[in-house]
Amino acid sequence: LSLDEASRILDPESKLTAVKAAHKFFSEDKDRSFETKMMDESVRLLTFQQQLEKDADGKVPFFGLSVNETLRTCLLNGLSKRADKLKSDFKVPDKRFWHIKLHALTTLGDFEALEAF
Amino acid sequence: MSAEPDHQSTSSVNEVNIDGNLLKEIARKGLVDALNAVNGGKTLVLDATLAGPLGLVTEVSLLKHHGVDKMFWLEAGALSSIAANIVYLCRPHIKYVKIIADQIKGHIRESRKHTYTLLLVPRVSTLVTQILEEEGVLGDITISAFNLQFIPLAEDVISLEYESAFKDIWVDGDETVIYDSAQALTTFQKLYGLFPRIVGKGDHALRLTTLLTRETPKTTNPSSDTLLSNSDKFDSLIVLDRRVDMITPLLTQLTYEGLIDELIGIKNSHVELPMSLLSPPAPAAVATSAPGPSTSPPTSTVPLKKDSTKKYHLTTATDPLFSELRDLNFSSVGKQLNRVAHRLDENYKTNLQSKTVAQLRDFVGKLGGLQTEHQSLRTHTGLSELLVPLTRTEHFNKSLEIQQNLLASYEVTGQIAAIEELIAQGADMEIVLRLLCLASITAGGIKGKTLENLKREILQTYGYNLLPLLLSLGSPPLAILLANPLPASTTPSLKYPFTTLRKSLRLLIDDNPEALDEVENDISFVYSGYAPISIRLVQCIAQKGGVLSNPAEREKVGTESTAANQKGAGSSLGGRVQAHPIVGWKGFDDVIATIPGETFDIIQQGAGEGQVLITSMLQPKEKSTITVVFFLGGCTYTEIAALRWVGRQNKGRKFLVLTTGIVNGTSIIDSIAGLGKSTSSKTVGI
Repeated sequence: LSLDEASRILDPESKLTAVKAAHKFFSEDKDRSFETKMMDESVRLLTFQQQLEKDADGKVPFFGLSVNETLRTCLLNGLSKRADKLKSDFKVPDKRFWHIKLHALTTLGDFEALEAF
Repeated sequence: MSAEPDHQSTSSVNEVNIDGNLLKEIARKGLVDALNAVNGGKTLVLDATLAGPLGLVTEVSLLKHHGVDKMFWLEAGALSSIAANIVYLCRPHIKYVKIIADQIKGHIRESRKHTYTLLLVPRVSTLVTQILEEEGVLGDITISAFNLQFIPLAEDVISLEYESAFKDIWVDGDETVIYDSAQALTTFQKLYGLFPRIVGKGDHALRLTTLLTRETPKTTNPSSDTLLSNSDKFDSLIVLDRRVDMITPLLTQLTYEGLIDELIGIKNSHVELPMSLLSPPAPAAVATSAPGPSTSPPTSTVPLKKDSTKKYHLTTATDPLFSELRDLNFSSVGKQLNRVAHRLDENYKTNLQSKTVAQLRDFVGKLGGLQTEHQSLRTHTGLSELLVPLTRTEHFNKSLEIQQNLLASYEVTGQIAAIEELIAQGADMEIVLRLLCLASITAGGIKGKTLENLKREILQTYGYNLLPLLLSLGSPPLAILLANPLPASTTPSLKYPFTTLRKSLRLLIDDNPEALDEVENDISFVYSGYAPISIRLVQCIAQKGGVLSNPAEREKVGTESTAANQKGAGSSLGGRVQAHPIVGWKGFDDVIATIPGETFDIIQQGAGEGQVLITSMLQPKEKSTITVVFFLGGCTYTEIAALRWVGRQNKGRKFLVLTTGIVNGTSIIDSIAGLGKSTSSKTVGI
């Protein structure tokens, strides 16, 4: 599977291409609709992360993180709007989102926001 | 546990002990021969995954003695060495060969002259020569094999220490391991004679056996006449492949040794412990706590770690206390430790009261032994203290609860929701996947929609790079994560008949107070109420009575005549009567047939002695025999513990466990995921 290689590539651009290639492979197979969807998400996440990194002037690394980690990093860096967008884009269930948010806010020591929960 | 069967354990345990040392000797001699083939001082470059197994058979001094002056890890990057000879020792993986080729090329560029030797474990493969040829360095290197086969881990456990065996066979479809296992078993038969009978279950187990039986006549030459006759020590070989019982490794092991493996990790029978636990303040005890020469791995010359942790060799040879503890359910370990502590205390006290000079001398003589014991008590107390908080965590208990419920098929949808909850809480990926696979196997698949949802959750939580892992878990050779109803493309035979097995093999013991006694008296103690399928299968062959009902209770019913023994199958046997001879799957044919995979039963005969042997096999033997159980694809510590227990129930039969490696659910998932293996093995595999 080309996906296997994709996970090892570190360079953002080539990684995107590799994942896209995997996406194509999966889409050719009818039984693999789930995998295709997932790869599509993966591509979207990677592009989103690139966007985030650009916005953060490259100070905060996002690329290659999982959805959860991305959410957490967003929250930790005060990008809660972004986090909300990510949540709706990727249909993250509330339960998981609150867990992440709770942990992130506790790490920050942001008790006002915790109160506002 | 019940009383030790002293009278016979001493004799047969000794036999097994000899086995171990013989095999060790073979491995050691192989290495020495290979090293001596290269003249002069040499630098040894070692594949990190081999260091652990090697440490179990040799020691640094032995290597030094044979001209090894420096040792390095086999890692990418230039190699600087002064010695004229460089010896590479590694498994035949493409990755390693590439590194070696690069290093040689680097030396050529710097125009330094070395003689290269490549020792491949366990044998030379054409693939390696091909790669070397492509890289253009084949002419510069001598390739030979170092045949490292069975390595004894404990007096009754022998392993190939082949870490990736499971993944190789069931994910990659690579059958090298099977071939290597057959080779190793042939060596074994050369030493001890043919296994009179081979019984097994599973497609790959059958393949192994075919290889083994076909191999035999070819390799037989007039000088090795052990291959011509049946072994008198072993009455049979039972081959089980891991695919037959996927449930057991997915569960959390609850014996002492198993729990250590689950929570801290045992590698090549070494466990990594915090320094503070092993080096107590008292200087006298330090000497005893330091691992003996045989336990320190040969590569200790290469300081790789910041010394916050230290390797500790878990072995019963130097640590009698461990043999008492290792197979106990963790809940009773504390009790046992307490008892030993009291005994030690008593000993100290009585000794302090001694008055006469003779008594004093006696005391001093005993002091050393007492201190060793004291030290090992301290280590194990510390170790269990380390384990306790880990068993108190929410995730651990939650996953245990889910496991038990799944095994009982209690509210499966509720359990899956609980798994989802665990994902949301960010529990370890391995825990989640183990539970999910377990749910899939026990319930015969998870509803398509739900499964898709869960997979999505997993990928989002732990990263999209896990998709290959999910795919391989769900694809045919392994197929332990399936949707329900099954997609049309998969064959129905993949479905595992767990619910019927649970009944017919009496896998689950009820958790009510009256049953508690029973739990203590059955192999299910290792999982607090669940009996490993694999071991039940062994019981089907070797202890038929134990499967159907509780052997310990039968003991009271009375001793049946030995005639019943001869017939064997399914008849009620007393708990501690003479073990009945191996009669194959008889009596359990129907049950066994429902489990996917081939079933086979082959009688091996030495040349020239046909009928006589079969009849003699069916005679109840007075002397004890050893039944060899080979786990293809690895076994868990709990299974070993359970087998030891079965061995104690029967008079006249001991079990010897052979395996391709020790596994647990986490290590299986990890090896399939292929994550962090390359990085972690460097620090862990020393």
